[in-house]
Amino acid sequence: MTGVMVTGATTPVGRALVAGLLEDPAVARVLAVAVEPRWTGPASEKLTYLQADLTRSRRIRRLLFGPARDLDVNVIVHGALHRSAADRGEKVWRLNVESTRELLHLAERHPTVRRFVYRSYAEVYRLRAELGSLVGEGHPLELSGGMPQRVRDRVEADLTVCTRMGMTEHLSIAVLRCAEVLAPESGSQLHDYLRSRVCFRPLGFDPMLQVLSVEDVVDALRRAVHAEAQGVFNVPGHDVLPLSRAIARSGRAELAVPGPLLGPLYGARSWLRGTEFRYGLNKWRFHFSGVLDGSRAERVLGYRPTHPLDWDALAAELRASEA
Amino acid sequence: MPICNGMPRRRSLVRRAADAVLGERLRGQLDRLRWRDAGHGYDRLGMHPDWVRASVAAVRPLYERYFRVTSHGIANVPVEGPVIIACNHSGMLPLDGAMLYADLVRHLDPPRVPRVVADTFVPMLPFVFTAFSRVGVVAGNRATVRRLLDDGEMLVVFPEGTPGIGKPFQERYQLQKWRVGHAELALRHRAPVVPTAVIGAEEQWPQLARIEGFHLFGAPYLPVPASPVPLPVHYHVWYGEPIRLHELCAPEAADDPVVAEEAAALVKNAVQSLIDRGLEEREGIFR
Repeated sequence: MTGVMVTGATTPVGRALVAGLLEDPAVARVLAVAVEPRWTGPASEKLTYLQADLTRSRRIRRLLFGPARDLDVNVIVHGALHRSAADRGEKVWRLNVESTRELLHLAERHPTVRRFVYRSYAEVYRLRAELGSLVGEGHPLELSGGMPQRVRDRVEADLTVCTRMGMTEHLSIAVLRCAEVLAPESGSQLHDYLRSRVCFRPLGFDPMLQVLSVEDVVDALRRAVHAEAQGVFNVPGHDVLPLSRAIARSGRAELAVPGPLLGPLYGARSWLRGTEFRYGLNKWRFHFSGVLDGSRAERVLGYRPTHPLDWDALAAELRASEA
Repeated sequence: MPICNGMPRRRSLVRRAADAVLGERLRGQLDRLRWRDAGHGYDRLGMHPDWVRASVAAVRPLYERYFRVTSHGIANVPVEGPVIIACNHSGMLPLDGAMLYADLVRHLDPPRVPRVVADTFVPMLPFVFTAFSRVGVVAGNRATVRRLLDDGEMLVVFPEGTPGIGKPFQERYQLQKWRVGHAELALRHRAPVVPTAVIGAEEQWPQLARIEGFHLFGAPYLPVPASPVPLPVHYHVWYGEPIRLHELCAPEAADDPVVAEEAAALVKNAVQSLIDRGLEEREGIFR
């Protein structure tokens, strides 16, 4: 029987993961951790909720060598990262990167923790014309100097976890690089992009996008919790479709404009309306396809995306958000 | 990802337009196309069967009337499993690729989508690569082509690359520097290589000069053609006996540069032999 600690438990994915783990007969205890004071998800005897600020290393130490040890936590699923593209600065970096480093560092000498599952993002991959459309785990990472902090932090945290693989005998590490979860409040850039009635896209380009449902990402994380395999795994989504089709399926209108205009257009939208979508974050994937190859996750973890997105529900939700 | 037989149920505008141009035989042929649906009618690299249909319809006048393509030895092309079609390349614009693509789709029974491997600068071309990817063209990237072979797809490669397409008229039918990537892939993925020669394309559009400093969208140069449109040469496509490189050595041998070069040389010699035979047997450039 497994004891699992989930960080970032109050995000949509975190909440769904905790709910899934609570239903899992192979999981004995769940320690849900987040910065919010109250747990709003399903209640269970198996669940312990703790408010914790992971930007403070002392707090992480107390958490791991206090409640986590007492609850006999064997697996940590770390998914606490800033979701907003507007968040930046030292404190954001401390949560995105330093908390990951500290958790790993402590997990390596923890008396009960045996597995560390890190939820990473497809955003860490570098997308360029010459690099191909199909992205395997060995694909180059986005280490360009000009990338926003959101991407830099995600790449740094991902690499921080990767460098610890195989360094300690008793701790196995899995990094799950997940496709974008197209859902509200999940930090999805695409979701915010689709909130506009008219979506602008680069003229002459219509790349393939891949989106993941909450059900599938939870399935992948649960499989990683129970597996022993170490390594990096791409977690693709069920829906692979061109950008233009994604816009149409969301009930939005599309307008193709010359690429150089998109930066100023979306910069103005973000400035005037305080929206999340940043063209700089999405420029390359709006030109060149980047579809995750999930064959390794299928082979090793037995993961296959089986839950397509409910596009009609998404369209209705987007329409409702306008009202 | 499920392998789909036949066309999507919904008849899109693209498909209806294509069907208006295609004859009954071609419509029947394309109705049996096999492809992998990634969930929205497209495969995960962007190919859509309606666009494959549209492309065959679009090049039909060129294939049947303008270049009057004659196909030889299509029975040599395996109809299932991974396979690499290795072909000479020429003609300033990749019309030879388009004719070869159409020839394969029209004659293979059952039909399969040729995954033509384009140079790495091609995805930077607006409109062009979007259209290319809808018909199954992929950018020449190792991870992508490996995965396609793992999935049992048919790759079409031009080992001469861009230097082949831009070769001077006086060097026609002389194979340029022959890359070895296809041989490595064939060894590693146990895929037969079908040597293929396109006769006619090397005379279709003589090049007067090239402007080397022109690199818009990553293009290597801007060609200056001798005629405003390609000449109506008679195309002959010759498919040779498949070469099973993987029966000559183990998959690990693909890592040995000497073995890969020797394997590629075997393919190159086979393509050159087909070119020589095709030139010998044709009645003239335009006939």
